[in-house]
Amino acid sequence: MKAKTWKISVFRFDPLKDTEHRFVKYTIPRSGVRTVLDALIYIRDHEDDTLAFRASCRQGRCGSCAVHCNGRYGLACEMPLKSGKNTIRPLAQLPVIRDLVVDMEPFWEKYESIKPYLVRSSKTAGRNYRNRRELEKKIDCILCGACFSACLMTGKNPAFHGPAAYVAVNRFLHDDSDAITGQRLAMVKGENGVFRCHNMFNCNEACPKNVEPAENILEIKKNID
Amino acid sequence: MKAFDIVIVGAGMAGMRAAIGAVRRDLRVAVISKVHPLRSPGLSAEEGLNAVLHDGRKASGKDPAVPALMDLHIKDARDCGYQFSDDAPLETMVQRAPGVVRELERWGCPFSLEKDGQYALRRTGAVSRPRNLHVSDKTGHAVLYTLYEQCVRLRQNKPDKLRFFEEWLVLKLLVSGNAAAGVIAMQMDSGKTEVFQAKSIIWASGGSGRVYGSTSNALTSTGLGLAVPVSAGVTLQDMEFVQFGPTQLPGSHIQITEAALAEGALLLNRKGERFLASYNDSREEMELSPRDVICRNIYREILAGRGIDASCVHLDMRTLGRRKIRAILPVTRELCRKHAGADPASQLIPVRPGQNYMIGGIHTNEKAESDINGLFAAGECANPGVHGANACEGDPLTEALVFAEIAADSASKYAVQHRNRKHGSETLFRNALEEEENKLTHMLTVKGEVRTAELRNKMQELMDRHAGVFRDGMGLVEAAKGIRELKKTLAEDLHTDGKERRANPGLTEALELKGSLEIADIIVQAALSRNESIGVHFRNDFPAPKGRRRHSLIKVRKTKIRIRYTGVKSRHKWLKEIAPGKLAEKL
Repeated sequence: MKAKTWKISVFRFDPLKDTEHRFVKYTIPRSGVRTVLDALIYIRDHEDDTLAFRASCRQGRCGSCAVHCNGRYGLACEMPLKSGKNTIRPLAQLPVIRDLVVDMEPFWEKYESIKPYLVRSSKTAGRNYRNRRELEKKIDCILCGACFSACLMTGKNPAFHGPAAYVAVNRFLHDDSDAITGQRLAMVKGENGVFRCHNMFNCNEACPKNVEPAENILEIKKNID
Repeated sequence: MKAFDIVIVGAGMAGMRAAIGAVRRDLRVAVISKVHPLRSPGLSAEEGLNAVLHDGRKASGKDPAVPALMDLHIKDARDCGYQFSDDAPLETMVQRAPGVVRELERWGCPFSLEKDGQYALRRTGAVSRPRNLHVSDKTGHAVLYTLYEQCVRLRQNKPDKLRFFEEWLVLKLLVSGNAAAGVIAMQMDSGKTEVFQAKSIIWASGGSGRVYGSTSNALTSTGLGLAVPVSAGVTLQDMEFVQFGPTQLPGSHIQITEAALAEGALLLNRKGERFLASYNDSREEMELSPRDVICRNIYREILAGRGIDASCVHLDMRTLGRRKIRAILPVTRELCRKHAGADPASQLIPVRPGQNYMIGGIHTNEKAESDINGLFAAGECANPGVHGANACEGDPLTEALVFAEIAADSASKYAVQHRNRKHGSETLFRNALEEEENKLTHMLTVKGEVRTAELRNKMQELMDRHAGVFRDGMGLVEAAKGIRELKKTLAEDLHTDGKERRANPGLTEALELKGSLEIADIIVQAALSRNESIGVHFRNDFPAPKGRRRHSLIKVRKTKIRIRYTGVKSRHKWLKEIAPGKLAEKL
């Protein structure tokens, strides 16, 4: 007979009150609960409304709810629960604000440091349509931060931009109308740039949208001579 | 206390577009949002935006000139909205839409193109010509990211002009002598409250879909954003007009974009028939009928016992073919596979209607002005009277972007004109802040029994049952009674587990619910008061339209909701054979 409940273990931590994190176990009914996010919402609604987590679109578009569950990173709204114990942790490498909510500021800071916007010049005016289909595929990153947490290099080297930032760089390298290609490459080829990536492919594994950050990084490396 | 020239509430599409507009006019801008801008619900607006483009298509001999094309856009929107649109804002939107698109393109939004480099245009439901621009089926994502990228750029170039306050919840709009003076917001992490003083305010808080249970809206679209200006005395318009989307997955209510229908997907009943053919109002246009018509006919089909699992019909995308689905509907494919467990290329997807978009909102005019001086509004939270009684797919996105730019322009002019005027006194700010503090403390100290979630579920159940696609007087009265009781329970018998202000989701949930209940109450009262059926508002007990076209204007004084009506500002005669004729026919 199929079990009627899910077993959930959630990371709880309040840095201002607790000296150490703890895992709290919940047993919740299966009916109406399919994904990790469903479980978190159920717990907040029925067990403990102080459980902090981020969520918004609940359809894998907004990137709010990235967590670590059952040995892998992903979006809580997309990860189905499994039989046995489900252990939910916050994103790694980022300071915890409360429970599953982490301070994304270091992540945004690095993303914004690579100039993630199109800069046109009079030379590049006009529409680029030669590679538009390809470009459409380059915009899929939702900046959820999963790759940033999974990457061993971001943890080791705080100056390393991280996979998501490089995906953004590669997106603008693919845009014919961008006028600062040289500047972008100069920005990422330095001491703590793309060559710090040692192709461990953790980012590809973590990415919930199949953006394949590692491939993007390889593409950037090819542009640097 | 923080002081700025312009405070923008909400950092979604309209909020960020308005911020760009205001910073370009060299004003000091603060954008307050309860989520990071890139988490805004506009991401899920997959269906694209409508605009007439001079260089959109190669001019073939048959193509009418641009002004004529614009007239067609206006006519389509007006017909789709059952002639309930006001002329001035609709014409403004259509005329400025091409500019908005070009600007997005210039900022790097990669709109889908045909092989010859012209924009790929989609013909959506209930329109005469293709004019829907899109980025495959991730338009919302592409547009929102483009706007954020430009905000980052402005912030790096002019760091003193633009500031984002992320994860701050706006609790109160401060008004002094019928002029907006600022807002009070709470930082969700720390729980501290703060006054943001402003010369003018742009409200862009988005939708309120979460007053319904069956909604495609994000969890954050609770309605608090709209309830805040309402309690400050702003007038709302047409709140009974709630747009339902026909194709949402059962259970999760994730919307399968109508772009699928526009590309040629079919709706089938249990017998595998294209049932839209058996209804008078959808016989001709079938899957490209207006959304309100499709929603009603899906429900009629289900009620007649020809639905799937008693609550759905089937969406058939198999005819599109695997390659086309991969190429132009990649997100739809992913959603179906992940959330319905079915591959749209080979399987039928069960779908049902659900809430999708709020047509009603803050009553604004073609200059995005509300009836409080210095308060401007744009996006889903506003109603400039463009969509009438039924929104045409793609127009809401265009409306949000066009009116955000207009709001930025109006708000900047207002701020410059009133640069030296004193907006609100110290005492006003201090007292208002103290009052809000007391309210928060009260909410946390009530020793009640009922959990927020229980109240929320009850409210959503009432709204789904009584204020959905089909409504009737008895049901609406019951809903109104139920909502009043829920309001009372929330005030007197609320239970929260956490007792502190700092990073307490229980507190924010309760605050949001309070806003939701206010908006739910308004929707129900407005629906109850409109004794006719028109567009998305269908009353079983008054199944025909009335003789006159009227907008409802809603104002809340203390706890009383007052509704009055004003005529639609249109020089066009109500073509009775178009709108009401169709309605009468199907009865």
